[in-house]
Amino acid sequence: MSDLVDKLQRLSLIDLKEEEKERIGRDVQKILQFFNKINELDLSNVEPLFHPISQGKLRKDVAQSSLTQGEALSNVKRKENGFIVGPSTYGD
Amino acid sequence: MISQVVKDLKEGRLDPEEYVERYYDRISKFEKKINSFITLRSKEEVISDVKESIKRGGRLAGVLIGIKDAISTKGIRTTCASKMLEDYVPPFDATVVEKLKREGAVILGKTNMDEFAMGSTTETSYFGPTRNPWDLERTPGGSSGGSGAALAAGFVDLALGTDTGGSIRAPAAFTATFGLKPSYGTVSRYGLVAYANSLEQIGPMSKNAEDLGLLYSIIAGDDPRDATTIPYEVKEVPSEISVNGLKVGVLKDILEASEEPVKGIINRIIDKLSSEGAVVEETKLGYAEYALPAYYIIAMSEASSNLARYDGVRYGYSKYGDGNWKETFSKNRGDGFGLEVKRRIMLGSFILSAGYYDQYYVKALKVRRLIKNSLDQLFAKFDVLVSPTMPILPPKLGEMVDDPVKMYAMDVNTVIANLAAIPALSMPAGFYNNLPVGLQLMGRYLSDTFLVGISMFVEKLTKIYDATAPLQ
Repeated sequence: MSDLVDKLQRLSLIDLKEEEKERIGRDVQKILQFFNKINELDLSNVEPLFHPISQGKLRKDVAQSSLTQGEALSNVKRKENGFIVGPSTYGD
Repeated sequence: MISQVVKDLKEGRLDPEEYVERYYDRISKFEKKINSFITLRSKEEVISDVKESIKRGGRLAGVLIGIKDAISTKGIRTTCASKMLEDYVPPFDATVVEKLKREGAVILGKTNMDEFAMGSTTETSYFGPTRNPWDLERTPGGSSGGSGAALAAGFVDLALGTDTGGSIRAPAAFTATFGLKPSYGTVSRYGLVAYANSLEQIGPMSKNAEDLGLLYSIIAGDDPRDATTIPYEVKEVPSEISVNGLKVGVLKDILEASEEPVKGIINRIIDKLSSEGAVVEETKLGYAEYALPAYYIIAMSEASSNLARYDGVRYGYSKYGDGNWKETFSKNRGDGFGLEVKRRIMLGSFILSAGYYDQYYVKALKVRRLIKNSLDQLFAKFDVLVSPTMPILPPKLGEMVDDPVKMYAMDVNTVIANLAAIPALSMPAGFYNNLPVGLQLMGRYLSDTFLVGISMFVEKLTKIYDATAPLQ
């Protein structure tokens, strides 16, 4: 089970607290069991339905008004000279 | 009726200050018990907005409205009931909020909900659970439970909710109010904090059928900023439609799976419809037991992708920032999300990962196709399908939230409409030991105003509208 929980943390980029690990592991297994119900059906000749609207729409490529830089950055916690400061991207 | 309030405010029969005071009075007396708002605006600000709005005019000039906290409001904090967005203030309005403001509506506050709309009881909120005004021991349903509770408590007469798998209809059913999950694509989702794009819609909530239709007619319509909206407009406010001669299908498989008291109340309504001349026939949805797992597989998959944006860098909870990007994101997300949200993101990521995608996700989409086909066949024969909105009475707090599979099972009747994109309306059907029971009407794609019209007729039979819980 700890393998499963490790995989889940890695896939979702969520660090679980110690006390959450067992709970989530148990719940996930129980929910997957509940999902397995759909394996009872023979679905080999059914087309999947991804989205209720069959096609999106296009618009002319013209500039529209949008947020100012100040507005767009108004919820950023760490910024410098109008840029967002992100975590380091090299090294491990 | 809101149309009367608008008239009275405009023509001076209702003093704007008195009007606003009336709601704040009740809120100051009872909100501590209910917890229906995450953010409440100051009374002075609201009074001044109401006065201004009456001068400008509009179909909702001066009318107060509660907005679910998943919908962006410029300058008013929008938290999605999450620690992740505790201090997030949107720099723009959602399209529906723009439309409401254009017609003169005034936002009273942002209503409580399950965190990121993930829940059916409004108990997963970071800001504490909302309680049902009809019985404070019980939940108001969810995830738009704050909106439902605020209506039933008499804090406001109009509200917006969002519905991904029943999140408008569950609270409507449990609080004796009205709610519509609109046809997919008829209401813009621009500015809605996304949970599961292919399933969710913003929709109106109210205390009677007329107000429901009015609110829907204002928020509906094509939006260039949301590519999933369709060319659509509600030109006239819906009017009453008699059930005489209407072909009504009763979804027997769903009805039979409901609790006895719920079944009893819904059966009485069906008898009434019949004696009013409706042609009532029992039928079956088919695949009902597969709809629920298919729905949750799709919803969690879409959620895992949508919620990837919360990393604490551009907005939201951001305690950590010194490590590399992977550590930073993982820590911020681990701290910022609550347990149910983590469960759903993790399951969604798992389902979409190599080796499981075909086994779960694609199969769920195939079940979705089967359900849509089954409904297409039913609507070739019936004008409207009726069932209970919820299979159970409002549960007590704590009864459901600790067992995810049990909580998911509450949504068995409502997820169908989201999978198939059709409109579904919940309205009060009756009370059992003072606990509300809701009737669900489902119709053909784009028959939203038709459903509202029927509910205007049915509310006269039930005589349950403008119901306010007797709080003390």
